[in-house]
Amino acid sequence: MEDRVPAISTEGLSKRFGSLKAVDDLSIRLEPGTITGFLGPNGAGKTTTLRMLLGLARPTSGEALVFGRRYADLEQPARRIGAVLEATDFHPGRSARDHLRSLTLAAELPERRIDEVLGLVELRDVARRRVKTYSLGMRQRLGLASALLGEPELLILDEPANGLDPEGVRWLRDFLRAFAAGGKTVFVSSHVLAEVAQTVDRVVIINHGRLVAESPLSELTARVSGAVRVRTPQAGELQARLAAAGIAVEPAGADELLVLGAPSERVGEIAAAGAIVLHELVPQQSSLEDVFLELTAEGAE
Amino acid sequence: MIAQLRSELLKLRTTRTTLGLLLGMLALILFVVLIQGLVTPASQLSATGSPDALDRQRSMFGVGGVGTLFAAIVGIMIATSEFRHGTIRPTLLFTPRRGVVVSAKLGAGLLAGLAFGLLAEGVAFGSGYAALAGRGVDFLLGRHEVLLLAFGTAGTAALWAGIGVGIGAVVRSQVGAIVGLIAWLAVAEGLLLGLVPRVGRFTPGAAGQALAGGTNSRLLSPSTGGLLLVAYMVLLGLAGAVALTRRDID
Repeated sequence: MEDRVPAISTEGLSKRFGSLKAVDDLSIRLEPGTITGFLGPNGAGKTTTLRMLLGLARPTSGEALVFGRRYADLEQPARRIGAVLEATDFHPGRSARDHLRSLTLAAELPERRIDEVLGLVELRDVARRRVKTYSLGMRQRLGLASALLGEPELLILDEPANGLDPEGVRWLRDFLRAFAAGGKTVFVSSHVLAEVAQTVDRVVIINHGRLVAESPLSELTARVSGAVRVRTPQAGELQARLAAAGIAVEPAGADELLVLGAPSERVGEIAAAGAIVLHELVPQQSSLEDVFLELTAEGAE
Repeated sequence: MIAQLRSELLKLRTTRTTLGLLLGMLALILFVVLIQGLVTPASQLSATGSPDALDRQRSMFGVGGVGTLFAAIVGIMIATSEFRHGTIRPTLLFTPRRGVVVSAKLGAGLLAGLAFGLLAEGVAFGSGYAALAGRGVDFLLGRHEVLLLAFGTAGTAALWAGIGVGIGAVVRSQVGAIVGLIAWLAVAEGLLLGLVPRVGRFTPGAAGQALAGGTNSRLLSPSTGGLLLVAYMVLLGLAGAVALTRRDID
C-alpha cells in the first residue's frame, strides 16, 4: 500500500482566519478505491480543508495534495477529480446544458459527455430549462453532473445530502456506491454520520480543525458498546457472580445493574445458574451516532 | 487559453443579461439619436443654416459613444457574475490556473466590447443618417471623422470592457463595481477634466473620449488617448489577475 500514490493526502495542513484556527495541523491519507466519509460538526473545518485540497484556498502552512500533487499543478484536473462544493454554483439564467457546455469547452472534454452525465443524473429531459426553475435536489444532481464530466477517478463532495429528501439521499447513496464499485475513490463530507454510514467504508472525523479519528467504519462500529441493563431484586448477588465471571458491571440505581461487555444471553445464563430472579433484561445498543458525538465531544477538549 | 476563451464567450452568450444590455443600449441610442435628428430644427443641422451644424451632427452621431459605458458594464459582469452566482468555483476547478481565467475573461471582454461599440455606432449612424436624409439635410461629416467615430468608439468600448473585467475581478461585488464605475465616470472624471484639465485629460474616461474622436479641446489626441487606454486596460487586467490569484475563493 505504501508505494501507491494516495488519492488525497494532507501533511500538517493548517488554515487560520485571523486568530481562528479553521484547520489545525491536519494529516490524513486516502488510498485510492475507498469511499471515505469526512465527518465533523458544522464549523469543524471540513469545507476549508476541501477548498485547500481543490486549490481554491491557500493553506497557512502544510500541504494538501491530490494524487501526490497540488491541485493547480495537475495537468487536466477535471479528468482526474470531480468536485462539488456548493449545490448552488450555477447562473440561474443559464440552462443546465449550457452550464455543462461551458465546462466541457474549458477543459476540452468531448461534447458527448454532456448527454452522458445528464442521463446519469436523470436531468436530460429538463436540460434546456434555466437552472432557476430547478429544485434543490435537481441542482445537487446538476452539480454532480458537472463533477462527472471529465470521468474522474476521484470524487470530492461537500455535504451532498444537504437539503435532499429521503429519496434523494437514497439515490445519492446508490450512485456513490456504483461509482466506487469501479475502483474509484470518493471523499464525501457530512455533519451527520447517519447520512453516510451506509455508504462509506472509512471515516475521517475532525473537530475544531483537528483530526479526531481516521479509521475504517468497522472500527467505529466496534466502539458501539453493547451494554445490558438488568433489573433484579438480587442486584448485589448478580453483581458478584458477574464480576466473578470477569464481566464488567456497575450499579445503575437501587435494583439495577449495567453490564458492559457481555451479551444479554450470557447475563441471563449467569442469573439462571445462580437462581436469580430477573425483572428486566434489556440490551442497550448505543448507536453509531452516539459514538460519533462522543468522539467529536472528545475532540472539543 | 483558447479553450477557456471559448468557454467565456459561451457563458456570455447563454444568459439574457448580455442580450438585455445590448438591446437596452441600442434602444437608448436609437431614442437619443432620433430625438436629436428629428426634433432639432433642420436649419440648425445644415451647413447653410448654422455655423454649428457640423458640431451638432458630430454630437448626434457620437451618441453611440454611450456604448462604451455598456461595454464596461458587460466587462464587469463577466468577472463579477462568477462571484455573485458562485460559478467561480466550478470555473476554477476546471481551469485552476487563475491567470489563464483572467486572460480569457479579458479576451472575451475585448471581443464583446468591440461588438458593442461597432453595433452602437452602427445604429447611431444608421438612424442618424436616415433622420437627416428623411429631412433633406446633408451629411456633413468627412470620411476621416466617420472612421474615427466608428472605430474609435469600437476600440474604446473594447478597451473599456477589458477595464471592466479588471475592475470586476478586483472588486468582486457586481453592484459595487458598477456603481463605482458610474460614479467615477460621471462625477470624478467630469470634475477633474473641468477643474484640472492637466490631470483630467489623462483619466481613462477622457482617454476613451479622445480615442473615440471627442471634440472637447482639452482631450489628448486620438492616438495618445488610445495608447493610454490600452495602458489602463493592461494595468487593470494585471490587477485583476493578481487579485484573483492572491485571494482565496470562499
